[in-house]
Amino acid sequence: MLEAKKVNYAYTRGRPVIFDMDLKIGDGEFVALLGHNGSGKTTLSRLFMALCHPRSGEILVDGEDAAAAEPADLADKIGYVFQNPDLQILADSVYEEVAYGPRVKKLPEAQVKEQVEGALAAMGLTELRDSYPRLLSFGQKRRLGVAAAMALCPRTLILDEITNGQDALEIEGMMAHLDKLNREQGVTIVLISHDMDVVRRYARRAVVLSSGRLVYDGSPAALFDGTRPLEQWGLRQPAVCSLAASMDVKAATVEELCELLTCDKKEGGEGACA
Amino acid sequence: MRLAAFTQIIVTLAVTAWVFILPTEAVATILVLELTLLLYIKHDQMTLAAIGGLAVFTGLMVLLQLLFGTPLLQSLIGGLRMLVMTMAFLCLLAACRIQDIAKALVEKFHLPCEYAFMLTTALRFVPNFLLDSEITLDAQSCRGYSNRQNFIKRFLAYLVVIRPLVMRAVAKSETLALSMELKGFGNNTYKNMPPEKLNIFDYLVLLLVLAGCSFPFWQKYLTGA
Amino acid sequence: MTAQIAIEDFYFAYKATPPGQVVLRNINLKVDKGSFTCLIGPSGAGKTTLCRAITGIVPFYMGGRYAGDVKVLGKSTKGQRVSDIAMHVGFIMEDYESQLVSLTAGEEVAFSLLNHGFKPEEVEKRVSWALEAVGLPGRETYRLDELSGGQRQRLLLASTLAVEPELIVLDEPVSAMDPDGAQSLYSLLASIHKRLGTTIVVVEHRMDFLLPYVTDLIALKEGESVAADTFEAACPIVYADKELRPLLPTLWQIKLGLEERLGLKLNDWRSEEEAIEDMKSRGVRKKEGTGHVGS
Repeated sequence: MLEAKKVNYAYTRGRPVIFDMDLKIGDGEFVALLGHNGSGKTTLSRLFMALCHPRSGEILVDGEDAAAAEPADLADKIGYVFQNPDLQILADSVYEEVAYGPRVKKLPEAQVKEQVEGALAAMGLTELRDSYPRLLSFGQKRRLGVAAAMALCPRTLILDEITNGQDALEIEGMMAHLDKLNREQGVTIVLISHDMDVVRRYARRAVVLSSGRLVYDGSPAALFDGTRPLEQWGLRQPAVCSLAASMDVKAATVEELCELLTCDKKEGGEGACA
Repeated sequence: MRLAAFTQIIVTLAVTAWVFILPTEAVATILVLELTLLLYIKHDQMTLAAIGGLAVFTGLMVLLQLLFGTPLLQSLIGGLRMLVMTMAFLCLLAACRIQDIAKALVEKFHLPCEYAFMLTTALRFVPNFLLDSEITLDAQSCRGYSNRQNFIKRFLAYLVVIRPLVMRAVAKSETLALSMELKGFGNNTYKNMPPEKLNIFDYLVLLLVLAGCSFPFWQKYLTGA
Repeated sequence: MTAQIAIEDFYFAYKATPPGQVVLRNINLKVDKGSFTCLIGPSGAGKTTLCRAITGIVPFYMGGRYAGDVKVLGKSTKGQRVSDIAMHVGFIMEDYESQLVSLTAGEEVAFSLLNHGFKPEEVEKRVSWALEAVGLPGRETYRLDELSGGQRQRLLLASTLAVEPELIVLDEPVSAMDPDGAQSLYSLLASIHKRLGTTIVVVEHRMDFLLPYVTDLIALKEGESVAADTFEAACPIVYADKELRPLLPTLWQIKLGLEERLGLKLNDWRSEEEAIEDMKSRGVRKKEGTGHVGS
């Protein structure tokens, strides 16, 4: 469980970026952390990972204050996946790459093998275990980043803009794996994203930050029901939601929307249904 | 009135010669002039850190010489010379834009354009490289690498991080090379830039440099030594 | 309309491609003058390679095995230097940071011009014009670190515009940008397309950004061209392939989905407002007894 209690944060010489933040993320949740550039969403996630520490307030990870912690202390509780997968690749094979974390923690080799195989299977990379990581496709590298974070068996994953730069098919593949991790293994997912279609489709809770303050905390469906000032918050209404709202239905995907619609039967000409 | 990049390079090179041919008192005076000039042009934290770093390095060099049995005075003079030489380059970089230095190197010293452009490229990409290394170290920490270990272990762990940085630098350099090729980089790059003309101040300074460099000759002539 | 790009029976393999395999296969397509063409396809389909072929980078800079011909502005890329082609075909690659070679904005825009022997007065004029055209007026002396990511992307566009190319090719130019930044850049690109008549070819995963502007669509799959036509004509072909369908703009996935299920013929939607108005005017409504499916 991740908790921020009255957290305030500012960069060393900069303006404050987080104001009096109160937020609780429970076990097994799938939360999308949203907001415009500079809203504080990445900063908040870095605070949870102890990559930086609040000026005031508390950050609690599984009930323990993270004030004196460093990221290595939390690596088996929280897996943090950065935006750029190339900067995270250290080894010459996918297996070795995923094994890096458990080996740094000096786990017994048998345990390393078990955890690595589990992480590879969870992200659909088992067949690529001997491949050279840098020759993988961008989508595969992204999944490798998640697998590497999973290798220490954290109960929470924080994923920073991992859908950027991927095509719709790769995104679907990646999100299917994450959704499965969340539903079947109860892994808490905190997804920082600008992709509102992904958020609407997969997240079960949306938290919106604007200029360092929490402005929305609720379901993605309600966020995109057309009544929120999305543009002001730097967000976009997914096209599916706009069209669904105009037809007085709720849908998260194109297929769902088409399923819910019909048309008035007319005598031939325009508007006639098959 | 500004000195041309060519003149500034000549002065810098001259200083590296002067530390060996001028008396120690003159070299010490040059050091004071350099510090004054440097702090006048740029007195930000980075410059102070650079001066501090050089001073520490000089101190270590002096210590090393003493350890190898060099007399104290000689070690100190050696340290002074090294400090004055390196400070001269620091002054050059503070006073002159790297692009102008590169242009002068090609125009006046006939350095191949590829080497001269390396100066610009280095300055262009060092900040990106530093940012990448920060992110890579953060990623390493998030995978269990602790910053609380002793210096040696941290240094060895840092070596692991060099690899992704080098790989990324190589990938970036491929894109950069292609971009430069598309933009027609070559011998014309510096040739077509407006040439930098020397003014009266430049010629005066060059004369001074000549006088300084010929010190042993006119000293011998004046003193009859 | 005259074709600015004409690719005939083009096959290509990189030096490292295993023998017997190719990256591009039997490519035959044209890009018309003044069009705004979007190039889509799954990862590894050959989109970047096709962009490189248009600009002569493959096979003439990177090497490789090839057959067929690529003609740009009526001339084959064979035998031309890539820097000469670049004076007519601007190319913006995905990693925009690594394409900025200079230390100030003015120097960046002037770089190509100086290399090609333009006079200093002409260089100054074009630099000023190009920076203004991309919304960075008067920023000649700005260092690159004084510009935001979005501004640097615009600077790259300015340095491409300065040589006044007839054609600009962009390979995933906004992959690292947030939606606002992406929207802003494409809006700028569209205005340049409209004002100067520059032909645009852009590789983009998120076609939603381009829906208001795109005139033509090329879809690649496994190195082959699946569709290469006007946007309206190519979309149904792409939609028919279930693997490529998610690459279309969301509105067109909905439109073609409704046409398939309901037997309608809807208009060519370019915005949500058009879509909603058209759906309502055709009598599209929610099914009786349905609230919603899913969350």
